[in-house]
Amino acid sequence: MTPIGFAIFCFVAFLAPVPLLAWLDRPRKSK
Amino acid sequence: MYVGHFASALAMKAKEPRAPTWALLLGVGVLDLLFGLFVPLGIERMTVTPGVSPGFSLDFIDWSHSLAMSLVWALLFGALFFRRGVVVAAWCGFAVFSHFLLDLLMHPHDMALWPHSPAHLGFGIWTIHPPLWWFFELGFIVLCLAYYVARAKQLGGFGGRAWWIVGVILFLHLFNSPWLAPTK
Repeated sequence: MTPIGFAIFCFVAFLAPVPLLAWLDRPRKSK
Repeated sequence: MYVGHFASALAMKAKEPRAPTWALLLGVGVLDLLFGLFVPLGIERMTVTPGVSPGFSLDFIDWSHSLAMSLVWALLFGALFFRRGVVVAAWCGFAVFSHFLLDLLMHPHDMALWPHSPAHLGFGIWTIHPPLWWFFELGFIVLCLAYYVARAKQLGGFGGRAWWIVGVILFLHLFNSPWLAPTK
């Protein structure tokens, strides 16, 4: 892996989980 | 540190539930998002070192990760949330600066006081004994997630799928282990 490849990997690794984790954190709708 | 940053963001959410989760999760990664931009632009430098823990050498990361610039990025990021109140803005700013504090434990003397400062900080857990850092970070993650799950259960209003979050975080930490990481 090149330094630029690592940097891009790092960028994606810190960005990609954010929407998923934020969505999982949402409160469940009460029935 | 990678997943530990996300775990710290969730602990901050548990402490201050009014802070937007996405902002805390994004905030703890700001310094590495900047690093991810600065290396391709030639502003910062690193070397991949396969077989030598942690798998890379961060040769010049002063603009994203120095103490002074971390504070600047934290203030700028926090300022984006002033409309939501000073407390929420402060937590969002602290999320950014927490990245510096946690990296300080892991990095081996590559975090400058300010850009081009001769003095560098870092306690170097990454390099003391290769697998040690992974278990150290795991312990930190467990503490943060335990607090998050407990507060979510106690307060409600967040953590609707808290155990799924625990699963995702632990999966990512396993993926980032010395045995599976892409730079191992």
